[in-house]
Amino acid sequence: MKKIIKVDYLSRVEGEGGIVIEIKDGRIVRLHLNIFEAPRFFEAFLKGRPYSDVIDFVARICGICPVAYQMSAVHAIERIFSIEAEKPIKDLRRLLYCGEWIESHALHIYFLQGPDFYGLESAWASKEYIDMTKKGLNFKKIGNQIVSTIGGRSIHPVSVKVGGFFKMPKKKELTSMKNALQKAYEESLMGIKWSARLQFNDNSWDTEYVSLSHTDEYPMNYGHVISSKGMHVSMDKFLDNIQEYQVEYSTALHSGIKRHSTVSPYMVGPVSRLNLNHSRLPAEIKYIIKEIGISLPITNTQMGIIARSIELSYALHEAIKLINEYEETEKPFIDFAPRAGDAVWITEAPRGMLIHRYEFDDSGYVNSCSIIPPTSQNLGHIERDIYFFVQNNIDRPADFIKKECEKIIRSYDPCISCSVHCLIL
Amino acid sequence: MKSPRLGIFKFTSCDGCQLTVLNMEDEFIDLIEIFDIAYFREASDKTLKGDFDISLVEGSISTEWQTKELLDIREKTRFLITIGACATSGGLQALRNWASLSRYKKHVYPSPEIIDSLSTSTPISDHVHVDYELWGCPINKYALSETLISFIIGKKPGIPIYSLCMDCKNKGIPCLLVSMAEPCLGPITKTGCGVLCPSLGRPCYGCFGPKDGANIESLLMRFIEIGLSQKQCAMLLDKMNTYSYRKARIGRGS
Repeated sequence: MKKIIKVDYLSRVEGEGGIVIEIKDGRIVRLHLNIFEAPRFFEAFLKGRPYSDVIDFVARICGICPVAYQMSAVHAIERIFSIEAEKPIKDLRRLLYCGEWIESHALHIYFLQGPDFYGLESAWASKEYIDMTKKGLNFKKIGNQIVSTIGGRSIHPVSVKVGGFFKMPKKKELTSMKNALQKAYEESLMGIKWSARLQFNDNSWDTEYVSLSHTDEYPMNYGHVISSKGMHVSMDKFLDNIQEYQVEYSTALHSGIKRHSTVSPYMVGPVSRLNLNHSRLPAEIKYIIKEIGISLPITNTQMGIIARSIELSYALHEAIKLINEYEETEKPFIDFAPRAGDAVWITEAPRGMLIHRYEFDDSGYVNSCSIIPPTSQNLGHIERDIYFFVQNNIDRPADFIKKECEKIIRSYDPCISCSVHCLIL
Repeated sequence: MKSPRLGIFKFTSCDGCQLTVLNMEDEFIDLIEIFDIAYFREASDKTLKGDFDISLVEGSISTEWQTKELLDIREKTRFLITIGACATSGGLQALRNWASLSRYKKHVYPSPEIIDSLSTSTPISDHVHVDYELWGCPINKYALSETLISFIIGKKPGIPIYSLCMDCKNKGIPCLLVSMAEPCLGPITKTGCGVLCPSLGRPCYGCFGPKDGANIESLLMRFIEIGLSQKQCAMLLDKMNTYSYRKARIGRGS
């Protein structure tokens, strides 16, 4: 008997995609996460552009996480030019990133995934959920405020430049946000509790969690790549460790980790980051996690919302700390001279590791580049997750499978607008 | 009274302008009280049904199926408003209009033959009648709420169309072009961003597109005088609003 399960156009995800699952005689014969987001060819039109355009251009890949694109790009460029920003600049970039984590996580928790747990079609579909919507908007607002205070506006901010910033904000502009941040932080701790009480399907399987890791901090802009299966490599070496491969149930190429003669999918994003870096969370958040009874590492890949809620608290906590320590510097950037070279840099976008590689000529014009967004890396993992779920529920009605598969996809907070940037390794 | 039905649609874009709807924050709660948000795929499961009083359209047209879908949306819509540089001006991806698509495809994808894409990325107004255009990469959220309210009460949105320089002067920012010899696009660019870049000491890079009647050639001549090459001048215009700046140049007979 043949059964086809099809979602033409996924909702509550960023970008455009669908899914097709074909079941024949109790077996999955085809499973395909179909990306129909139109390609935009960034890697092609960046070629021949000066380094200074790169930061503005790559931001336009994604309106949800433009800061992530700017961060991976600016660090890669600075590496090529052999410069390293000074501490106040590093700290301000981290604060900017906190702002983006806050707004992006709030969007996903309260607007995109939250409604799933209440059987709602949107965050405004029921009067009972409206308080949650308002909470989400409040978090989003404070995240957006951080980004726009530092970057001029919350979407496609304009202040980041190679070597530093065009201008750094006044201390009092930042401290004026502290009360709101403190309130939001306290509210967010309740949010962790709420997320831990949600009902999840069990989707635990032996997979590999991958994220950046840094000795002194929860990872954002710096560190090396580690995994739950013992990988420990520098950012540029990580590219040597991954490979595209094909699976029998899908027409899409997947990205996986090479080990001996096998290639297997891996997961990036909040669950991976939390699993591999929770020891670097502040004591009070660790205490809350323990008190609520969340056991780490998270082994159910569907529990992204818990990891995201914890990271939302963390980003708020970290933002307060960075604002307290902030000092204006005399000059907001360091000088440099463009030069030829190539570099890889990875930062932790809200959705996971965002890999950029650039090669410049000696005037600092792009010769070639590749951009590997987190969702591209997760696609194979999402399909594998769905594969296991469907295999375990193969006799359930098609409608049930369809709804649950949509939820699985959504739990990754996929950014399909980003993921059309195909990887060539 | 029945709430006006609002649809939010996306073509080729980064999602940033429709995100601006959610970024209206406190006003978003008013929005959902005033409007029936009848279609908003990024944030709601509601499927495409019925007609729309207002459709906000994000993104440019860059594939065959989008041209068909756009016609369908136009047919169902009373007022169609484009939001952002992609929908209003083709976006950054319109840079393909001046290049070879097959080279672009090969550059990005290992199997270029499976990529469905037109050789151009064009604004919505090249395909259907547009009732109002909101410029910006991204749009400004206050301009968005002003526009939505205006269409409901039947007035013209009060959005200025003069050049960025006017607002820059009002803010008392020293002119980057005159005093620092920086290549600022302010004189030929619509205002709307809140003078973000010049406030940071950075020249305008044209997020809001060419102002009507902009004298582009004259500004470029000044850029040449301060040491830019023709190629550098062209690249300054070839960004998110490349299609509109190039059109504005031709429009003045250059």
